[in-house]
Amino acid sequence: MAQGFSHIRFLFQHALRVELRKKHGIAGLLVFAVASVYTCYQVTGTHAEQESWNALAWVVLLFSAFNAVSKPWDDDRPEIKSFLLHAVSPNHWLIARIAFYVVLLGVVSTVTYAAFLLFLGMDHFTGWTAVHYYLGIVMTSTALATLLAMIQALSTRAGGGFSLTAVLGLPLIIPVILVSTSYGSDLMRGIAFGDTAHHLLFLATLSAGFTALGYILFPYLWRE
Amino acid sequence: MMLYTLLQVNPIEGFFFGSGKSMVVGGVAVIILIGIGLWLWRMEKRIQALSRQADDAFQNTKSNAAS
Amino acid sequence: MIQGSWKIGGIALLAYVVWTTFTVPLGPGLLELRDRNEAASTDGITKRIETYELIGLGTHWGAGTEDLRVFIRKGQNLAQLPVIDVIDDTHAHIALLLPDTLPSRSWDVLANHPVDGTLFLQNGLFTDAYIIEPTAGLEPPVFDEHAPNLPHHFPFQPRIFETIRNLMLHVPMWFTMFLLMGIGFVASIRQLGQKEASNTVFDQRAEASVQVGMAFGVLGLLTGSLWARYTWGAWWVDDPQLNGALVTVLVYAGYLILRASVEDQRLRARLSAVYNLFAFIILMILLMVLPRFTESLHPGKGGNPGFNSYDLDSSLRAVFYPAVLGWMLLGTWMYRIRLQATQLNQKLQRLNQR
Repeated sequence: MAQGFSHIRFLFQHALRVELRKKHGIAGLLVFAVASVYTCYQVTGTHAEQESWNALAWVVLLFSAFNAVSKPWDDDRPEIKSFLLHAVSPNHWLIARIAFYVVLLGVVSTVTYAAFLLFLGMDHFTGWTAVHYYLGIVMTSTALATLLAMIQALSTRAGGGFSLTAVLGLPLIIPVILVSTSYGSDLMRGIAFGDTAHHLLFLATLSAGFTALGYILFPYLWRE
Repeated sequence: MMLYTLLQVNPIEGFFFGSGKSMVVGGVAVIILIGIGLWLWRMEKRIQALSRQADDAFQNTKSNAAS
Repeated sequence: MIQGSWKIGGIALLAYVVWTTFTVPLGPGLLELRDRNEAASTDGITKRIETYELIGLGTHWGAGTEDLRVFIRKGQNLAQLPVIDVIDDTHAHIALLLPDTLPSRSWDVLANHPVDGTLFLQNGLFTDAYIIEPTAGLEPPVFDEHAPNLPHHFPFQPRIFETIRNLMLHVPMWFTMFLLMGIGFVASIRQLGQKEASNTVFDQRAEASVQVGMAFGVLGLLTGSLWARYTWGAWWVDDPQLNGALVTVLVYAGYLILRASVEDQRLRARLSAVYNLFAFIILMILLMVLPRFTESLHPGKGGNPGFNSYDLDSSLRAVFYPAVLGWMLLGTWMYRIRLQATQLNQKLQRLNQR
């Protein structure tokens, strides 16, 4: 158990280090996100309607997330993979992978949200609503990370690349998007946080479900 | 409300059910359905026959290779 | 022949279903209670007598013109409206002869007739220009609800009318798709669970069931779209249940694309089995769980994505249950044929390789 945990931690730190070492990686993602937000700002200015604000925020977030998982996973190179397959159990690898994606998507979505607040203004939020909205964004990016980690592994294994990730992933994440958009529009329409918090619970359940499913299924995906 | 008015001017009952057209439509639908049934039945039989032939051919090539 | 009797049984059931679906007439119902003198003055001095036109669909008021009785009801309050004139089977003129003080503005309209039985039109009458006093009582007339005296017919549903027949096509399509996707789900689990990795027999089952299930899903979407056009006025509306249905079909389309993009048979069997498990669980979330969380126009909503609100009466049930069973049998048969075809294809390929 303790060994498993140290494996997970090692794999996670390794992924993080690899990501940080090639500086264009994370920087490219952030520039993509901020540029998308800036494009939205060019169109709507600071007076976007509630619905537009909500829709634009989720669309930019979704595409940033897809962009983030679209890059090939460094450890998937055959020589490293054949070593890792002997050294660690695939389940630990998946957990490390999910953890890395949760952190990555968390960073990307936080920056996107900050850029949104900066450029498009926070007229539609009063007081704590912006924080509640941010909670929704974090939960959504967690759910996306748990699902996309698995889908990305699957499409890598199938040799399909990014387009296959999109084809397989986009329909599957629709339930997540449905829940989080309705959560966002609820907040913006002034519904109290307590009355719409069940959406967050639902997102958490989805994340847990996807993680569990991935945990069970990943070994089948990975063994030769 | 528009739709209701339209319906009341042109009640489908007299047109469709009163004149026996419903019988024709139902009959045609049943005939199409039975046609689909026969088609499926024939297809299944042919697939099974071909499958048996393939099995036989498999056996033959195997025995040829042995002798 | 004996082994195949369930196939013949399925086709026979469907033949019965299709025949009755198209030939059983629709029962009578009320369409509208319409104000005839919209421009008339509403002076409060003279006793107000407004005439309304009661419009039915498939009613038989011409047979026994004196026997038509029209009532309005709100909760416990009931009042009778005099029938001035019965124009024909489906049109009658009604006088709105009511006391000046009424307990409510909106009323349900009821029509009693010995042939049609008691017909009901919810919120059919809106009485403006009356003094509304919630405590005002009305003289209760003689009213007894009674059953129609008609041959076998489908129940009249407001706004749905004749399209109630689509119930026998649309709903069983989805049930059959659920059954087939369930077969695929079980096959995928067994594919992953077996020890012999090179054995792809369960993968073939999963593929065949998803292919046939997709066909039923697309048919379910098409019949649903047709129904939406009639009852909601648009081919497609933004609704959780409809989104869920479309996304389900897209997810399974992704499954077929995934299959097409992997060459190696063993790898394909494993990857597509993994994806199929995801797909089925998403299907369950989208069509069973999410609609309970959200509001929807789709029948049976407000908690239950089934068909309870259709008030399946005995005449509908007598066709609907055979329809479900028949379509499921046909779906299973199609799945088996598709599976045999896939297996034959594989045999032939192996034969060619020799």
